[in-house]
Amino acid sequence: MTKKVKESTISRAGKKEERTAYLCLIPAFFGVTLISYVPTLAVFVLSFFDWNGLTTPKFIGLGNFERIFTKDIYFLDSIQSTIYYAFLAVVGAVLYSLIIALFLNMEIKGRTLFRSIFFIPYLLPAIGVFKGWEWLYEGNFGLFNFMLRMMGLSPQRFLDSPEQVIPSLVMIAIWTSGNLIVIFLAGLQNVPRVYQEAARIDGANAWQRFVNVTVPSISPIIFYNVLTALITHLQVINPALALTNGGPGKKSTFMSYVIYLYGFRKNKMGYAAAYAVIFFLMVGVFTIILFSTQKSQLFGAEE
Amino acid sequence: MEKQLVKRKKNKKEKLINLVATFIVAILSAFVLLPIWWIFRSSLMSTGALNEYPPSFIPHEWLWSNYSKALETFKYWTYFKNTFSIIIPAVLFGTITAIFCGYAFARLRFRGKKLFFNLCIGTILLPGMVTLIPLYVMWTRGLGLGDTYWPLILPYFTGGGFFNIFLIRQFLLTIPTELDEAAAIDGASRMRILWTILVPSIKPAIVVVGMMLFIQIWNDLLQQIIYINSMDKFTFAIALTNFTGSFGTNWPIALAATFMTILPGIGIYILGQKSFVEGIVLTGMKN
Repeated sequence: MTKKVKESTISRAGKKEERTAYLCLIPAFFGVTLISYVPTLAVFVLSFFDWNGLTTPKFIGLGNFERIFTKDIYFLDSIQSTIYYAFLAVVGAVLYSLIIALFLNMEIKGRTLFRSIFFIPYLLPAIGVFKGWEWLYEGNFGLFNFMLRMMGLSPQRFLDSPEQVIPSLVMIAIWTSGNLIVIFLAGLQNVPRVYQEAARIDGANAWQRFVNVTVPSISPIIFYNVLTALITHLQVINPALALTNGGPGKKSTFMSYVIYLYGFRKNKMGYAAAYAVIFFLMVGVFTIILFSTQKSQLFGAEE
Repeated sequence: MEKQLVKRKKNKKEKLINLVATFIVAILSAFVLLPIWWIFRSSLMSTGALNEYPPSFIPHEWLWSNYSKALETFKYWTYFKNTFSIIIPAVLFGTITAIFCGYAFARLRFRGKKLFFNLCIGTILLPGMVTLIPLYVMWTRGLGLGDTYWPLILPYFTGGGFFNIFLIRQFLLTIPTELDEAAAIDGASRMRILWTILVPSIKPAIVVVGMMLFIQIWNDLLQQIIYINSMDKFTFAIALTNFTGSFGTNWPIALAATFMTILPGIGIYILGQKSFVEGIVLTGMKN
């Protein structure tokens, strides 16, 4: 009898707890459905239609995809520039922030001040940053060309040069990657000092300690930073919108920018949706590849 | 004796290494600051002075008038008002909803928790570019909210993206449940416990969430461009993109406008930097 009463009060309390939870999660529910999964499904559906955004959509099967793969003037350039940019930006930003974090993890004077300095570019509004760097890259009187001239080198065209535009934009991305530094620092501060000391006593030099102690201990953090940086940089669009308009030539027509061009400049919603589907699959493939390397790395660390 | 000597030698070596490291870091940080200084310095010079070689590191005369000239066409305070009428509600409600959702995941038991949690994690990997067109159709054609700020604000009322919910949850998990239980015995309701006990103790996480949302919205040029058409509704991001284009080669004026838009970012950083760095440092560890 008493047991029964107790059980029912527990379940009543449990019900109440459940109700509170569902109430609290209403915002997330809308986020997951209306803002994320439903539009993702919708983009797949839309990709089978020819639609200018106003008249009735016309079903054309795989017509959009066929056109993209065979006739599109941006397709190859956009894939190439997106992957090229993302690759350079991820490698550059992760290496840069790891190196800076390693330095900041040492017992150097003014650590807090330096940490702030490396972090500030991340907090600056992106468009301001791009406009400012446009001036630094300026062909005649920009800062970088001044520096090159002082070193006796010939001036470069940076953003106006088909070869240099992507590396130049990547420099900006690296400069603004202060958030990665802070996350690396957090990871490094968690590496037990004992391990370092033990390795030191065993006669490991600084490089050996870094490779055999530090890297395995922060490998989840490295993975996290690479993953978030990859997803961010594959979606690159701001430099094209604010600086290059996809140029020079088509050298910075990133996939996101092409989706924007077709969807909002040329009002080809269905066609842009098909592009978005291809983009989605591309990001998915990269994410899966990344996750598969992580597994082997984790096992490697365990052995 | 010998051991001590080795130790002292090592300390000396370590000190030297740290000194060299400090030196390198100082030089690197100078390089990081140089672009900001160069933009500022150029915004105070005349076009003629900008084109001099060798360039001067500090302007010979400080032309603050560039700023008033920029303000004649660059309606700073309009853009300021517009930008913040998106940022304030989005950051505020984004943070509040993130707290509710993070709390449910960290503290409450309910059916379907694991499934829903995984569905939420999936959204992090979902590129925003993919959902852009259907969302645009929904907000403009479906709900008739084109050329308003709503499509830029309302999506943040969903916990501001799952990453922020996750962050709050991770932080709450580090707070001992004894705290909640003690308060519950005293008769406090769940919501009361959340807002009076838990929220104050995860302040750094809340500051991080707020600032991340702030940066995210500030940098979201694409959505601002596609949803906003009227010039009197322009935000900093749109206005700056158009402004420098229309100003052609008058760099000092364009850079004055640029520098003015950078300023609020620096201001916010100075306000919240301690909690911000602390918050990220703590969250990075709690995976």
